[in-house]
Amino acid sequence: MTTRRIAPRRLSGGFALGLFLAATCAGFMGLKLETDQVLREKVPGSSIIYIPSGKFLKYATFGYSALAADLVYLWAIQYYGSPEIVDRFAYLDHIFAIIAELDPRYADPYEIGSMIADREAGDIPLALAILDRGFAKNPDMWIFPFEAGHIAQTRLKDFDLAREYFGKAMVLPGAPDFTKRLYANAAFKVTDYATSWETWLEVYNTATDDRVKKIASNHLYQVRAEMDVNALKEAVAKFKERYGRLPAALDRLVATGLLSALPMDLDGRDYVYDPATGDVKAPSLWWKR
Amino acid sequence: MKIGTIARNTFREAKRDRVLYLLFFFAAVCIVFARALAVLTVGDRVKIIKDVGLASISLFGVLMAILMGTGLVYKEIDKKTIFTLLAKPIHRAQFILGKYLGLVLTLFIMTVLMAAIFLAVLFAHTFRVEWPMLTAILFIFLELLVITAVAVLFSTFSTPILSSIFSLSFALIGHLSWGLETLIRKMRPGAGRTLARVLYTFLPDLENFNFKTEVVHGLPIPPRIYLYSTAYGLLYAAFVLGLAVWVFRKRDFI
Repeated sequence: MTTRRIAPRRLSGGFALGLFLAATCAGFMGLKLETDQVLREKVPGSSIIYIPSGKFLKYATFGYSALAADLVYLWAIQYYGSPEIVDRFAYLDHIFAIIAELDPRYADPYEIGSMIADREAGDIPLALAILDRGFAKNPDMWIFPFEAGHIAQTRLKDFDLAREYFGKAMVLPGAPDFTKRLYANAAFKVTDYATSWETWLEVYNTATDDRVKKIASNHLYQVRAEMDVNALKEAVAKFKERYGRLPAALDRLVATGLLSALPMDLDGRDYVYDPATGDVKAPSLWWKR
Repeated sequence: MKIGTIARNTFREAKRDRVLYLLFFFAAVCIVFARALAVLTVGDRVKIIKDVGLASISLFGVLMAILMGTGLVYKEIDKKTIFTLLAKPIHRAQFILGKYLGLVLTLFIMTVLMAAIFLAVLFAHTFRVEWPMLTAILFIFLELLVITAVAVLFSTFSTPILSSIFSLSFALIGHLSWGLETLIRKMRPGAGRTLARVLYTFLPDLENFNFKTEVVHGLPIPPRIYLYSTAYGLLYAAFVLGLAVWVFRKRDFI
């Protein structure tokens, strides 16, 4: 009899509790959606300046520094992808230096960090500094000097710097073959023809496919033609200085002792001379051979 | 009446807990230390004091709520005092509510004490009472109400160590759940996205009680958010306490 009287009470209590839970759950879920509609003021990037140096942060991660690097990197990608934060680039170096300290072998952040610095922030020295840091911490990774060389060549047009970077990259294991070609090209651009010739010759001799062999051959033609044309133009200038007129033909340079012999291009053809202007040209365009 | 008696007893019991004083001591040290830390900065020193002070109140408040709340019901069961209590004409819901309110009272006093030290340290630096800080502290206390309810819930069916881990995880999830929104935005429409959306609204959002940045930087706070956040906190705590009552009702002590 007692059991019969208690059971309905328990049942009604349970029902009331179930109702209470459902009501409160619906209530807070509804409020959550409502609260999301209210825009709260933010201080863009205000938290960044308090992030300590990676050296100290590393100790605070209790052995999970690689995980911390992943988290900071993921956060950084979201952060630098927010154009509404106008001063987001102010601590770019700081953030990527932290990731580098936490996980020095993590290659992506160096590349992405330098890309953000170069393309988004327009800070090329910083882009190079991030890649330099990557290379300093990973001297066996060709990608960092390679990327730096690419930036120096395409963005700064500093071929001397590009040659230096490509030179570092091409000797590292795993570096693609074209790194050597980029190095040879940069050497040509800074008029270091001897180095350029040697490197293209090496590319030509070690090439395993016809396409690369042809590319190297064309560049060898270009280097040789550039050197010969420069020498011929110099001799023409000396001739004019000595006789007060331009030579009628290039063989006059040999006859007057200004040249020991007339050079010929890589295909065995004579260089083209214009007696009216004194201009000397290669008989073929190097990329059309 | 019965709830009040249990709450008073819980408060008396909490007052004797050494963990409470130890945490309070560390909180006070951190708040005072903020002033020394501010000397190391270049720029706005008051900001450092405010940031460290508010963070200390929040962090140590959460630790107090978790470490004390998780043993609240478990201790009664472990020491078998629950038999004496439930032999009396007390409803189990009254027992849970009394325990909860007793701990809430303890946390309220601790929060007030920590806030007093914090405001005193700030006053020593700026020579003025920074009343806006109380807004942030009030909502820190509201967050503690939710976390205490969670700690009580786990305490009804688990050991203090496991309950502490669960409650701490709850606090962490609560502060990170906003990240789900980013994920939802990147998901394709469908069942997965709907599920993520439901999960997002169901999981606690403790950032609703985080006004630290706003008060420190003196940013305007939309008045509606006070109402919504308060109602959200109270409803969430009520829901979790309802769950605790439901679990506790199912337990058989005979």
